[in-house]
Amino acid sequence: MSIRRRIAIVVSAFAAFAIAVMIWAPTVGTTSISLARAFDRSIPWHDNVDAQIFFVARLPRVLAGGLVGATLAAAGVVLQALLRNPLATPFTLGVSAGASLGAMLAVTMRLELSVLGITSIPLASFAGSLLATAIVYALASSQRRGLSTNVLLLAGVTLNAFFSALILFVQYLADFAEALRAIRWMMGGLDVASYFPIVAALPFIVISFAAFAMMTRTLNLLSVGAEAAASRGVEIVKAQRLAFVSASLATGAAVSLGGPIGFIGIIVPHLVRLMVGADHRIVLPASALFGAAFLVLCDLAARTLMSPLEIPVGVVTALIGGPFFLWLLVKRS
Amino acid sequence: MKKLLLTLLLTVAVSAQAPPRRIISLVPNVTEILFAIGAGPQVVAVSNYDVEPPEVRSLPTVGALVDPDTEKIISLRPDLVITYGSQTELQAQLKRVSIPFFDYRHGGLDHIMVTMRALGERTGHVDQADKAARTLQAGIDAVKTRVAGKPRPRTLLVFGREPGSLRNIYASAGRGFLHDMLIAAGGEDVLNDIEKESAQVSTEMILARKPDVILELNAANRLNDADLKAVVDPWMTLSSVPAVRNKRVIVLNGPGLTVPGPRVVDGIEKMAKALHP
Amino acid sequence: MRDLLWADNVSFRYAAGAPLVVEGVTVRLADGALAGILGPNGSGKTTLLRLLSGTRRPTSGRVLIGDRPLDQLSRRDAARQIAVVPQETELAFEYRAIEIVLMGRHPHLGVFTVEGPDDIRIAQEALAATGTSHLSDRFFHELSGGEKQRIVIAAALAQLGHSFSAPSVALLDEPTASLDLGYQLEISSLLTRLNQDHGVTMAISTHDLNMAASICRELILMRDGRVLAAGPTSEVLTPDNVRRLYDVEADVHVNDETGHITVLPVRRIDSGSRLPAPGSRGNPA
Repeated sequence: MSIRRRIAIVVSAFAAFAIAVMIWAPTVGTTSISLARAFDRSIPWHDNVDAQIFFVARLPRVLAGGLVGATLAAAGVVLQALLRNPLATPFTLGVSAGASLGAMLAVTMRLELSVLGITSIPLASFAGSLLATAIVYALASSQRRGLSTNVLLLAGVTLNAFFSALILFVQYLADFAEALRAIRWMMGGLDVASYFPIVAALPFIVISFAAFAMMTRTLNLLSVGAEAAASRGVEIVKAQRLAFVSASLATGAAVSLGGPIGFIGIIVPHLVRLMVGADHRIVLPASALFGAAFLVLCDLAARTLMSPLEIPVGVVTALIGGPFFLWLLVKRS
Repeated sequence: MKKLLLTLLLTVAVSAQAPPRRIISLVPNVTEILFAIGAGPQVVAVSNYDVEPPEVRSLPTVGALVDPDTEKIISLRPDLVITYGSQTELQAQLKRVSIPFFDYRHGGLDHIMVTMRALGERTGHVDQADKAARTLQAGIDAVKTRVAGKPRPRTLLVFGREPGSLRNIYASAGRGFLHDMLIAAGGEDVLNDIEKESAQVSTEMILARKPDVILELNAANRLNDADLKAVVDPWMTLSSVPAVRNKRVIVLNGPGLTVPGPRVVDGIEKMAKALHP
Repeated sequence: MRDLLWADNVSFRYAAGAPLVVEGVTVRLADGALAGILGPNGSGKTTLLRLLSGTRRPTSGRVLIGDRPLDQLSRRDAARQIAVVPQETELAFEYRAIEIVLMGRHPHLGVFTVEGPDDIRIAQEALAATGTSHLSDRFFHELSGGEKQRIVIAAALAQLGHSFSAPSVALLDEPTASLDLGYQLEISSLLTRLNQDHGVTMAISTHDLNMAASICRELILMRDGRVLAAGPTSEVLTPDNVRRLYDVEADVHVNDETGHITVLPVRRIDSGSRLPAPGSRGNPA
């Protein structure tokens, strides 16, 4: 079988699975609705509870889950190859800490601005993620020869710790209710009840995915080693910068949409590699598709398992991801 | 059970001495209660968050719930400290230096009256406390009587969400102080079945439970029409919900609306007016 | 024979203010050459190979491929003519041998192009040339040291392209460093074969004087970033040069019948700060 054919078949299979999940997910929930009624245009919108549950409560939620899951999984793949470390996550380099700090500040300063229907918390968290990305980038590229992945990793880990301290500090100064609200944001949530935030995050994610698509073979070479990649014709500095910036941008947009939902960026790429091998031309699109399906399913569990209560979706992914991560560590050592 | 615990606590902690002269209160709503029962003059210091009644604003402050300034508290030589139940570390330190403390925790609506009477005994204002408790109970009962027999609108009592959106909505659930206020004001809680003080509610749940009224508490002191519109607007997405369709999303704002103390009647009054215009 | 790869008086430092690790080095690799680069740890061998491959640019001086300055070529164009076999290959993920070899085709493919039948045939030829066809579908990390090294050499061959006939250079950084005697011999004979049968021009940095003596037709001796001596193996590999290179007294025997040179280290001359030399190996700077 030719390589092109293999890529096409495997990616199509993952796409079919993701599409099936995305179609099925909005039809289930804590309330039983009539799809016939939901799609009946003759019933006025204001009277059609089934349609509102489907189109306001569930569909945006499923779409947001799919987008966030795909983005975090794909960004995980890119950063793991860039850092040559299978245990890296989209949050390793400080993006989520920056986003959380932004959200925390928006909550405690009671920012209530909104731009094109996008409210203060997503705006501030996106700004925070850009700030974190800029700081890490500046630190890691201060050396003359492009990005040092070691410095990148160290800067990211340090920034994570520092921002976490700032978050705790702001939280300490905040009122009880505010602190609680910020903590809740950090557990992730996809009940967006609107298409605006999804549309707003989309351009950044689409641009990043275009960059991802161009670098799949380069990621293979990067994961063999920077020096080796350079000798095989990779413009290493450009490639590393593109990988870091696009993955960070995508992560920032995803986190501003759904909060810092953990473990997607590590579980999904690993499961996918176990299934299809290490070639990034398959791993990257397959992870994005599987990530979308995985997060939508986790969110389905989050909204139904303890009904009428909701489990924060970040808690669900962490409950699955924590043990998985440990198993991975044990297996590797 | 609570009463039993309190009596136990009182018998243990109160060693039948003279009433305290130097009280420090770390719990703002209890400070209000102290002033309401005539123990105000005995209060020598309060928490950082105390603003009511106005007399407390000139008193020294000694930290708050999570960061009580133990050294300052002890240096003020109190003979009674009002602590919150979760301040176990502070309580242990007070025990070590033999400073008596009153262990308070939020409860339901009735618990305000229970606390009044307990503090009355503790501070030497039994009669005044009893009177204050009766007045408060009478105020609550008056509202209850007024709304008795009227249809109870199914109400969602929201106390927090992300500004400008319908994300991370928190509402009062099947028990606790806010729930009791809502019931007293003649509403029916749409989250009655959830045995918690509060719950996060998804948009799906709101659409499915179809509340007749959405009461939203807002901390802002004043809201002009534009502010009000900005607060209410996001709800319009859920136009099939009766509360939204019938324009019965009502914002209750102002300070002290939900302080479990003597001012609680005002809050219940406001709720009742919103529910039964 | 014309020069294929030519370093013209190059110097290099890794960062501004850092000392020069390569200083005023001139090296000429003729088409079809099989040159060895010898020198103690930290003498600049690896850096010289990086300069020759163009993954680093010299601080001063220039490197020419054919008659074009290397830095005028894009990384992709340079990589079609110059392949590097690194000392060790540590993978972050579990690739199969064939995937590693196919990665060599990277500079020949467009951004969205997938390896076609030609690329696969070239990869298979490279596997055959290194005697690793049977390892094609095995996971790289499960292979022995010698097998891994042969796969990486195969990847370099695949990188150099069609039947390795275009003017092309393979630069090998201590290709036998982590291998036992059997594998060392295997790789030595593979390199000779590739050079003689397939015409691949090679420069090999090594600590193994006897391997260098047996397969390299010319040697470049480096110490402290400078070239100590360069020329045909039989002229350069003298007891005197070995002493100047490593501070080691050595017997150099020339077999009268075969012309093979063997080097036998005898003792360390200057027992200064350095560790005993024979057999000791480390990472080059």
